[in-house]
Amino acid sequence: MTSETSNIKPLIYIILLNLLGAALISIQYGGVNLEAVILTGAFCVVSIVSYVVVYVAELGDPYLFLIISVLGSVGCIMQTRIKPEYGIRQLKWFLLGTACYFVIMLGYRFLSRWLTKLLPLYLGLSLALFIATQVFGKTSHGAKNWIYVGGVSVQPSEVIRILFVLGLAVIFTAPMPEKLESKVKIKPRLLRLVTASAVTVVSAAFLLLQREWGITLLFFATYFFFLYVYGASRLYLALNGLAAAAVAVIGATKVSHIKVRVDTWLDPFADASGKGYQITQSLFAIGEGGMAGRGIGAGSVYFIPEVHSDFIFSAICEEMGVVGGLAILMLYFVLVYRGFKIALSCTNAYNKAVAFGISFILGLQTFIIIGGVIKLIPLTGITLPFVSYGGSSMLTTFAACGILQAISGMKEELTDEIQ
Amino acid sequence: MGGILSRILTYIFVIIIYLFIYAIIRMIFLDIRAMNRKKSGSLAEAYLKLINLRRDLDFNMDESYELEDDEIIGRGNKCTLRLPDKYLSVRHCRIYKSDGSYFIEDLGSTNGTYLNGDELTDEAVELMDGDKISIGRLNFIFVMPKTEG
Repeated sequence: MTSETSNIKPLIYIILLNLLGAALISIQYGGVNLEAVILTGAFCVVSIVSYVVVYVAELGDPYLFLIISVLGSVGCIMQTRIKPEYGIRQLKWFLLGTACYFVIMLGYRFLSRWLTKLLPLYLGLSLALFIATQVFGKTSHGAKNWIYVGGVSVQPSEVIRILFVLGLAVIFTAPMPEKLESKVKIKPRLLRLVTASAVTVVSAAFLLLQREWGITLLFFATYFFFLYVYGASRLYLALNGLAAAAVAVIGATKVSHIKVRVDTWLDPFADASGKGYQITQSLFAIGEGGMAGRGIGAGSVYFIPEVHSDFIFSAICEEMGVVGGLAILMLYFVLVYRGFKIALSCTNAYNKAVAFGISFILGLQTFIIIGGVIKLIPLTGITLPFVSYGGSSMLTTFAACGILQAISGMKEELTDEIQ
Repeated sequence: MGGILSRILTYIFVIIIYLFIYAIIRMIFLDIRAMNRKKSGSLAEAYLKLINLRRDLDFNMDESYELEDDEIIGRGNKCTLRLPDKYLSVRHCRIYKSDGSYFIEDLGSTNGTYLNGDELTDEAVELMDGDKISIGRLNFIFVMPKTEG
């Protein structure tokens, strides 16, 4: 067994991390904190059990869930540090998400044969969700993006982003149905491009109606990335880029709440106590933390608005320092790297496209929100995967990673080689 | 006082995250090294060619594996050639080069190492071009293209 011990090292680090977290939170609240103890226990059990399950049942990539566990631990520790109730609720979502991860993984494995034929389902479901958001949506923070189902608030765009990737992957990789090919006198390549563009334009229109600019950017960039990877001509790429730029410019000059976002990005201190309040507080917090941070529980994170969701990264930087913030970034880097690795080593064209899309969305989402809170790009409300507080974000990101895990564990299909 | 303590603990916290990242990257590095040593073949003096049909195996294998001067074959991650067959031992067998010839020896594996159908005993045996090596569920042909000399 000696040569297997280095496999256990990451697990030991996860346990140490959670123990330290519990200690830090207990210091902060001046006594043993029950929530922190529950958290530590739960994370240790979940990461060990999941790792053993993946390892023994040979379900593919053993690193994905480990990295997710660390991100989740840091997230839950920060949530508990902000407010113990948040920590417990976040833990519940994490556990539900873990279940979701394995269910989606098994589902994807068993259904992999039919997934390419379900394009109408993906598009129909997305459309239904978009319309539901329009009809039943509640407005919060300038965006109409929540619906309430039985007392629980859900953000449908989080689900749609996965359906969008699954749909685009079908459009770009599935063989054309022969009937359609003979009926419509159009080159398959062109048909693909047009379908993909149409789907993206419709999605973007709905998202803009809901005033979800961040997620619109996410969708468009994913579509653009697919175009690039699947060899659309430079001209087509340029046209799409120009169209997007035009929409962005119109948004930045004509739509008032986007104009505010851009103005506060260019000069947040012009109105530091009003419109620029969020971003300036975030910058102050990051500056206050400095290189090494003020210590978890010792910062003054309550000054940051929305600190438990969109601005969690500022709180991490304040209390764990730039060094700690970089550590979180590196965790995302390794996670996304694993995603691309899975995509590269997979032989099935459809799965490859799905893995590419999901990894890309994960990476881009991290960039958009972290870039926003450090004032690298204009701020848009998107969650930081696995760390930000929020149920629908947690569950859908887990589902997406479950798909990655399923793809990494699937037996290489040799049909491509035989052909 | 609490401030200093939580500061120190936070430093340790961050260091552990970095140690975790290091451990993961190291494991990934070992994986990639194991994966990259397939075919290309041009430089290798000898290689193992898989003769199982790959679709009969429920795990991924390459068609062939180049051999370097000293290879430990097995399931464990300290092996220089890691193969995912469950029927292999953590350290299963060793193939090494000595005076221009290749030798194979069993490293006390549970299910044994077979050369042309005969189980290997304690001592190392010289490999010839075209020998059949069986370990676990895997069957290989040892290929050593004649070097011009």
